[in-house]
Formats: sequence, C-alpha cells, structure tokens
Amino acid sequence: MAVAQQVGTVKKNYLQALNEALREEMARNEDLLLLGEDIGILGGAFGVTEGLQEEFGGHRVYDMPISEAAIVGVAVGAALNGKTVMAEMQFIDFISCGFDQIVNMMATYHYRTAGEVNIPVVVRGPAGGYGGGALYHSQMNEAWFCHSPGLKVVCPSTPYDAKGLMKAALRDGNPVIFYEIKELYRLNSIAEELPEEDYTVPLGKAAIRRSGKDLTFVTYGNNVYHCLEAAEVLFKEHGIDAEVIDIRSLVPLDEETIYTSLGKTNRVVVVNEAPMTCGFAGEIVARITNNAFDLLDAPPLRVTRLDTPVPWAKPLESFVLPGVDKIVAAGLRVARF
Amino acid sequence: MPTSSAQTSEKPKSSANGVAKRPSELLTKEQCLELFQHLYLARYFDVRLIKEKKRGRLRGTLYSSHNQEAVIVGSIYGLQPNDWISPIHRDMPMFFLKDARNGLRNPNRMGMTIEEICAQVWCKAGSPGRARDNWSHIGSQSKHIIHSTSMLAGTIPAAAGVALADKINGVNNVVLTFNGEGSTAQGVFHEAINFAAVRKLPVVTVVENNMWAYGTPVELECPTEDVADRAKGYGIPGFVANGQDVFDVYDKVMEAVEWARAGNGPSIVECKTFRAYGHGDHDDDRAAKYRDPKEVAQGRANDPIAVCRKRLIDLGYLTGDAATQYVAENKGAGEVTNEDFPPEVVEYMNEGIEFAMNSPLPEAEEGGMWVFKE
Ligand SMILES: Cc1ncc(C[n+]2csc(CCOP(=O)(O)OP(=O)(O)O)c2C)c(N)n1
Ligand SMILES: [Mg+2]
Repeated sequence: MAVAQQVGTVKKNYLQALNEALREEMARNEDLLLLGEDIGILGGAFGVTEGLQEEFGGHRVYDMPISEAAIVGVAVGAALNGKTVMAEMQFIDFISCGFDQIVNMMATYHYRTAGEVNIPVVVRGPAGGYGGGALYHSQMNEAWFCHSPGLKVVCPSTPYDAKGLMKAALRDGNPVIFYEIKELYRLNSIAEELPEEDYTVPLGKAAIRRSGKDLTFVTYGNNVYHCLEAAEVLFKEHGIDAEVIDIRSLVPLDEETIYTSLGKTNRVVVVNEAPMTCGFAGEIVARITNNAFDLLDAPPLRVTRLDTPVPWAKPLESFVLPGVDKIVAAGLRVARF
Repeated sequence: MPTSSAQTSEKPKSSANGVAKRPSELLTKEQCLELFQHLYLARYFDVRLIKEKKRGRLRGTLYSSHNQEAVIVGSIYGLQPNDWISPIHRDMPMFFLKDARNGLRNPNRMGMTIEEICAQVWCKAGSPGRARDNWSHIGSQSKHIIHSTSMLAGTIPAAAGVALADKINGVNNVVLTFNGEGSTAQGVFHEAINFAAVRKLPVVTVVENNMWAYGTPVELECPTEDVADRAKGYGIPGFVANGQDVFDVYDKVMEAVEWARAGNGPSIVECKTFRAYGHGDHDDDRAAKYRDPKEVAQGRANDPIAVCRKRLIDLGYLTGDAATQYVAENKGAGEVTNEDFPPEVVEYMNEGIEFAMNSPLPEAEEGGMWVFKE
C-alpha cells in the first residue's frame, strides 16, 4: 500500500486517517458513493482513496472524467435520489471549475425547496501552500464558500480531527466543503494513535491547542503549527504566554471558545494563509469587534497571505505567506499595545 | 441502434416483420384526444397568465411557451410515472402535465397540481417551494421533478446523478432534461452528457430549438445545422423532431426513452420550433424589432394545435362539429378568448388561479429558514 504504514507503531498520519474515515463510512453507509478524478484505479492523486475501489467496487467508487462541474452536479443529483456522496477535487484549486454547481445548485438546494431536499455531499480536496505548489496548487479559497450560505466549511489540522471531522461531515446531511492540508498528509511528526472505536469530531467546535494567558491566536489548518511555534518563541524570548485556538470548522464557527479565551487574554491575532481582503480572518475579527469589544485591550490583528497569488520559488512563496516571524511580530504588537 | 446522425425522416423504421409502427401509431383514439387536450391545457395556461399579468393580478416575468406546446406535451406523454424530468423556464405546463394520464386532479399522481403551479406563479405560500425562488424553479423529490436554478443547462449534471443513483439501485427510470438550443453552448452541457455517455446512463436531453436564445439566433450559438449533431461527439444518438407536431415529438422522444431504458445510454432529441413572443414578456417590444416579421410569421405558421387537429381529422378521431370546435390556434394571446377552449380546460385553470389568489404570502421569517438542515 502506498499509504505509508509506519512499521512497529500504530500511529496514523493525516492521510491514513482520512483513508480510514472513508473506508469506515463506506462500510457503515451502503448509500455512500465516492466520485473524483483518478480516485478508483489509481486510488487518488495523493492516495486518500487508496484501496477503496478494490474493497467496495466500481459501483461505489467512480473514476470521473476531468469535469469538476459534473462531479459536483452528479453528486447533487445522486443526493437528490437518496445517496450520500464524497466528491473529490484533485486539488482544491480546481474547485473553481465546479463553482456554479457548488454555490448555486448545491448550497441553495435545501433553502430553495423550503427544507424538502437535503444534500449530503462532502466536496473535499488537498489545499494550502508552503509546498512550492505555485499558483494553482497552493490555494486556500475557503472564503468563497463561507460567503455562500448553505455550505459548511471545515479544515482539520491533525489526523484525529481529519478522521473525526470527515466522518461527521459525511453524516451531517448538509453540503460540506472539506479542506485537507496536503502538506500535513504525510507529516510524521503529527502522526498519532487513533481510537479503535468509531468517533466523530463535531462540526462547529474549536480546539485549544495551547493554553496561555497573555494573548490568543485564532487559526486553522497548517497555520496552527506556525502559531504553536510562534507561541514558543514568544514564551521563551519574551515571556509572553499565548493561547492557540484551532477553529477546525469555519462554518459553523465556534465563537464561544474564542470569546472565552479573550475573557482571559484580552488580545487576539487571527492567522490564516488566504489573501487578506474579504478573507475569513477578517470575518473572525469583525465578529470579535461586534460581539466581544469590551474584552479587547488591543486592536485585533490579522496575519494572512499578502493579497497576491501564491508564487512558486521558495523566497517568493515565503514572502507572501504567513510565517512564524510575522506571527511573532504580530503577537508582540498586540501584547505591547 | 437508432440513427446516430441527426435526421428528420418521417419514414417508419423497417423491421424483419415488414414495417415497424411508430410509437404514435400505437396510440389509441382516447390517447390521441388526450394529447390534443394537453395542448389546449398548455396553451390556455400561457395565454391566461398573459391576460392575468395585463390585468395587474400577477407580478414577475412570464416566459411564454406559446407555439412550443407540442414539445412540452409530446415529450412527456409517454413517460412512466416514476420517470424523472427537469423542466426549464419555457416549460411551465410540464409541471402539471407530468403523469397527467393518471388523472389531472389526482393528487397522488407523479406530477404537480394546477393549484401548486398557480400558487408558485402567484408567489404564494401554497407553492411547492413556498415562493422562495421564482417561476419554474420548483420541483419535487417525491414526484421526480428536478428543481432547476437559473443557471442554464445547470440541471443536466444532476439528471445524470439521479440516473446514476437509480442505476446503482437497479431502478430503471429514465431522466428527461430540457434545455433551449442556446443553453447547449454551456460547459456543463458537455460535461454532463459526456459523463452520462461514458457511463451509459438513461438521460435524454430534449433540446427545444426555438431558433432564438433571448436576442441571439441559433447560428451564433451552435455551429452545426442541427443542434442534435452535438450527439456525434459523444457517440450517442441525436434525433431531430418537428417540434410543431406533437406526434413526431412523441415518436422521437419515445425512441430515445426506449433506447435509454434498454440500457443503451443517453441521447439528444432536438425539437425544431419557434419562439412566438419575446424571450420574456419584458422583451416583447424589443423582440418585435430584432426579429424579422417574415421569420416570425413563418415560425408560427404551423401552430401545434392546428397540426394536431389536422392529424386527428385525418385519423377520423375528430369529426363533424368537433373538428371545427374550439379554434384556439393561430391566435395571439390578445385575440384568443375562453370560448376558443374546451370548458374543462378553462375550468381546470380557474381552479388553480382561485387557489393561488386565496393562498397567503409566506411569513416573513421564512426568509431566514432552511439555510441548513438542522
Ligand atoms: C448561465 C446563464 N447565463 C445566462 C442566463 C440569462 N438567460 C436566461 S434565458 C437565456 C436565453 C436562453 O436561450 P435558450 O437556451 O435558447 O432557451 P429559450 O429561452 O430560447 O427557451 C439567457 C441568456 C442564464 N439564465 N443562465
Ligand atoms: Mg432558444
């Protein structure tokens, strides 16, 4: 199996966790179908669906033509006719080719039928920068979908969450856009033991990755690790104790956990790797200023990608994406305000 | 295999036993007369709404199906009750004509009632979609009608998905999707039919070629003489029907439906017709300028009700007074009167309108409901 099994340990990486989630849900729900490019014979460009066509058959796992709009639209039609569907985008960047089917056909279906029709479809794909993927293999375009009512949007940062959120998403009954951080797929340092028994991670529940009392980092995806590193630097070099909140799901957003943290730290930096303008970091800041202004001792800051595409060469990519240095600098600014 | 090249041949197919009958030749007298009645129902729905709008009792744009009723009626008449359809903006009568053979007033048939459709047109809570989106953007999961959005050709992928689910479940329903000729230029038209062809799914795409897509003539939308020729690229049959002749539409669509139900996969049926008025009623005045009056006169020369009447007379199904009764054909919406229609047709529509007028508007708070399934 191409999904690397670490010999002598039961730790699972992020990719294996996703593969397990799909396998277990396929076994649990015989109405679950998998659609995507190269997901059957090949097992997926990254191997997330490795072995699933073999195990569950070609009538459950479909190699689709290179037609993102059809992949999503067919998923919607199958859902209308009783199926649950996982639709893979080979890279989340290509989701733009299926955009209309997602935001106009899928997202609105429950609304425009006054609740008659549920669309249990999870559109998932590898996302994010930091890997030299260049403009069209590095995107985090989650804001498009957070801005389209009717879609849930999630982004796990650990193997445990990847598995639990995928299972929850497939059982949710609503359309979910699922951002997988491809730089984490095979990252051994975050591999972990997963529970033997069935579990889910609820959509709309944040996780506190580091407790602290001086300031709060609110983040998700790969940036969770950048924030944790920045928190260590702040603590060791400046004696500043930062809390790190991994929101895990953007829609619905667990605002309570954020405000509870702010009640303690009174300072916040929101970090994500999407462009700044109209991004989800801005949304979080707006909600904090609307709903928890009294708790703030400093203006809430954002650390995001510059308003540029993601370039290829390493120095260029590092320049535009948020990194530990930028996060530390922002942390110092709010801490010393 | 049915001819895969577009063709308009009226000739019946020959078979080993001699000459095979066309599907329409197997229709009984009662069925032929029912088709005729459905044409009246479709036409009356259209002209009545135009009148209602002129009287100020109705808001919203109307997309007239005047002169295109043979496509609507002929393509769905032969379906099985559980077959699926996905109508578009010019197909309003299709919602209440689906499975009408099981009784127009039978609430349990696999089609909508005239009450539901009128409530939708009147933007009332009695609409199947509780008036959340306008005009033809309704459907029913249980009645097997796919809900469309405004995005042209946008429901063909869903049609393929519905067909895929049926196929997996071993259910042999056919899915009919409807699209204007202009909409065949959309990318999803290709993506969806390509997929359906690869997987041999029973999806029949009926193209209502009314020669105009809003202000753009067909030759600027499609490079081939017959839109059905698009089928060639998918290795699937492309049929061309005379869209003014309800029997020819019935024949070609039934051939496509049987082909699909036998497991051979999708096809395209182009029905050549002509848009009588503007794109929507807001466009009537401009359409009178951007279209040559001669072209319009020619396009409307074969009114589907007249064409059907002639066939019924030739068959001996309409005789004596009945043959010349209720002349609704070749009259504009402003000229035709209730007396030009059979009274039961007017009565049916009256029932729908009365229900709609009495149905309340939806409660304001509903605007915030049903974003997510709880
Ligand atoms: C994707 C998309 N683009 C544009 C429109 C605007 N529009 C609505 S109907 C129409 C013309 C459609 O022509 P055709 O497909 O031939 O159908 P017809 O109206 O003639 O029945 C246009 C351009 C739309 N609804 N959807
Ligand atoms: Mg047209």
